[in-house]
Amino acid sequence: MLLQQLITGISVGGIFALLATGYSLIYSLLDFSNWSHGEFAMVGAYVAIVFSNLLGLPFLVAAAAGVAGGAAISFLCERTTYRRIRSNGAPNMFLMIAAMGLSNVLQQAANLIFSGQYRSYAFRLPVTTIQIGNSYIGVLDIISLCITAVVLVLLIYIINKTKFGLNVRAIASNSYAARVLGVRVDRTIAMVFLLAGSLAGVAGVLYGMKYNVFPTMGNVGLKAFIASVIGGLGSVPGAIVGAVLLGIIETLVSAYISSSLRDFFSFALLIVLLLVKPSGLFGVDVQDKA
Amino acid sequence: MTNTNSPVLEMQNVDKHFGGVHAINDFSVKIERGKIHGLIGPNGAGKTTIFNNITGIYAPDSGKIFFMENDITKTTPHKVAQLGIGRTFQNIRLFSNLSVVDNVIIASNMDAKYNMPQAIFKTAKYKKLEAYLREEAMDLLGFVGLSDKANERASSLPYGHQRKLEIARAMALKPKLLLLDEPAAGMNAEESLDLVQFVKEIKSHFDITILMIEHHMDVVTNLCDHCTVLNFGKTIAVGTPAEIKSNPEVIKAYLGGDE
Repeated sequence: MLLQQLITGISVGGIFALLATGYSLIYSLLDFSNWSHGEFAMVGAYVAIVFSNLLGLPFLVAAAAGVAGGAAISFLCERTTYRRIRSNGAPNMFLMIAAMGLSNVLQQAANLIFSGQYRSYAFRLPVTTIQIGNSYIGVLDIISLCITAVVLVLLIYIINKTKFGLNVRAIASNSYAARVLGVRVDRTIAMVFLLAGSLAGVAGVLYGMKYNVFPTMGNVGLKAFIASVIGGLGSVPGAIVGAVLLGIIETLVSAYISSSLRDFFSFALLIVLLLVKPSGLFGVDVQDKA
Repeated sequence: MTNTNSPVLEMQNVDKHFGGVHAINDFSVKIERGKIHGLIGPNGAGKTTIFNNITGIYAPDSGKIFFMENDITKTTPHKVAQLGIGRTFQNIRLFSNLSVVDNVIIASNMDAKYNMPQAIFKTAKYKKLEAYLREEAMDLLGFVGLSDKANERASSLPYGHQRKLEIARAMALKPKLLLLDEPAAGMNAEESLDLVQFVKEIKSHFDITILMIEHHMDVVTNLCDHCTVLNFGKTIAVGTPAEIKSNPEVIKAYLGGDE
């Protein structure tokens, strides 16, 4: 029973992690929390719905399109909105407010186009379970977990082992100096939005497979935000650890206490954390959290 | 096209305002190849603003800036860097949580030479480029005497070493012009003398031209061929260090200042 809950928790945490790393990457570069990040996942999930259910394409093609959709909307938000606000020299608070606005706009747009109805992929999902001892583990959870793991390993590799990743870390450390040393800062930021958006797309499709696709599904981004605060905003490994922890906590609360108290526990944890250890587990930067 | 006698840097009648403050007022300068030019003046005289105009942090309101005969008046910072202008900062701006050698590799201008798939799959070409850049960065660190610190965090270095690392990092751009913003700030007389020696070595080894902001007159006298003295954005004197030291305008500005 516990093993079953743990696997589910890690699998849910993995989806949080795909989004939480995006929060962290963007926060580390631009010092603001991108509140529309959850909606990037939602857009990705709907793009996959269009490809699979309306166009009748194979599910893998639809999933790939969903990932591309997440990347595209993320990139578009950066180019049409965030970059302009930055080049106006506006305070970071403006970026955050714009992100909240975008989050609402995207949610409402999805509502208008697709209605508020819950949709599921026209694809026979592997809903079977594997029995280990007296635990039943969902095949879907295991698939989701494996995909997440591969994607996150690739992300960490890109950030730590490539020159692009070095540029990203340099900008996070001192964007002014990076610019003067010949790093194309705006281009690198746009590529990070592409990267973070495609991870959000993966999260959106996986989340949609597990819980269906609906306009407000992007609210899962709030959980990912909590996860990135647990880990320490701005830290990619911190975001992953925080997300897995939160996934396990939520699953255990749902299983052993009450599923209606799940969100209460998560948000209470956020508040306690901000009071007790605002720098998070991998504490990067204490100031200016939200 | 590049004439060897043409100046490395030429600024013509550059003006810059910030709100009501006239930060630079009709500033002109010509720096010949292989020279060290000093920018002197009390705090707030507009010296760092001139550096920011050259490196494209912001464009001047009017006037022109030429680097090796290219008009760089409105060129963006990364382009200016890639054209060959390196810079250090008054308050050191290292990538403090990165390693010493990574600080240098960042400035190595390799971005144009690879693409993402090559980087992710580490093609042979990419690996070769990477190894070559690391070697080059290590050579630079060797030159400034920081080889043994290559894998330490930049923030763990003592102040004097951080200054040297910042210069090594600027040199990784293979600049033709190096801008030094108060390299001797916070140094005592002995350390300043060390720095003078260090700058001379860099200049002769890499065959570069230098524009430096400096307050320490002994450093200026020892290094600079020519100087421009600024006060409240205006040029009040131009000449050799000996000439400006006896200039009554300069003496007046400095007696009123904090030096």
